[in-house]
Amino acid sequence: MLVAAAVAGLLTQLGLGGSDKVQIGNGSVSALAQAAQAADTLPQSVLDYPFAERNFASPNGGGSRLLQEQGSLRLYAVPGKGGMLCLIEVDSAANTAGGACADRSVLRTGSIYMADRQEDGSRLVVGLVGDGHTYAEADGRRATVENNAFVLNQVEGGDFTVGSPTASQHVDIEG
Amino acid sequence: MVVLFALTFASTAGAEYRIYWWQQNMAPNAQGYDRLTAHNHIYNELYFGPNAGWRSEVWEVTPAGYRHFDKWCVGNCFYAHPGYYYTYSYCSNRDGSTHFVYQCKDQW
Repeated sequence: MLVAAAVAGLLTQLGLGGSDKVQIGNGSVSALAQAAQAADTLPQSVLDYPFAERNFASPNGGGSRLLQEQGSLRLYAVPGKGGMLCLIEVDSAANTAGGACADRSVLRTGSIYMADRQEDGSRLVVGLVGDGHTYAEADGRRATVENNAFVLNQVEGGDFTVGSPTASQHVDIEG
Repeated sequence: MVVLFALTFASTAGAEYRIYWWQQNMAPNAQGYDRLTAHNHIYNELYFGPNAGWRSEVWEVTPAGYRHFDKWCVGNCFYAHPGYYYTYSYCSNRDGSTHFVYQCKDQW
């Protein structure tokens, strides 16, 4: 049983789908299956951007879930068109908002993320990961994945890592 | 405070602001830029279609060379910010063409 589990884990890491990238999970995001609450509703300002109509499965952001709230920063997951998933960030203090939508398959080999340069030159990295990911790490500092999302503050390097207890995936922020 | 804001806006209104971008299909040191008619700009968007998975970056540069609202992302993405700066409306599609954000192509 233990050997079978180890072999299965190894095969998962090697990538049964033909990819040479390490794979974690199957791209599912359990946070989206949680019962909806009032706080899950996206701000109207986000729904008013043309990005919403072009990318969200529903123009009103139906199915969105609030993943994390840290200070004035809120992260949402939103079902997207054509198999995409979207990560939306809203900072009520800075009066900024951002979003990234990518094919769900991205979650098997990494993260749907955004990295915003801060005034001090570091980056705020936020990401959506699939089930099975437990942490994100950059510059030797680790953040726990909660509700399929992570926040990495003051990232100085151009990359980060997401992972599970048995595998890790390297993500280049820059080209 | 209101007077200071008005003066700041007036002093920058005719200046050259530019929006730059990079996409994964470009060389690491390559970059595109946009210089459409100036608007009081609050929004940038990159759109590559429903199968998006590209790494990208979009940023703005003030006339003084100050780089701000610099965002890296994967897939289609947007960045909305307060209208502090007088700059341009911008959207880039996969074909490298640029449009005002409300003219972004929904397919190609």
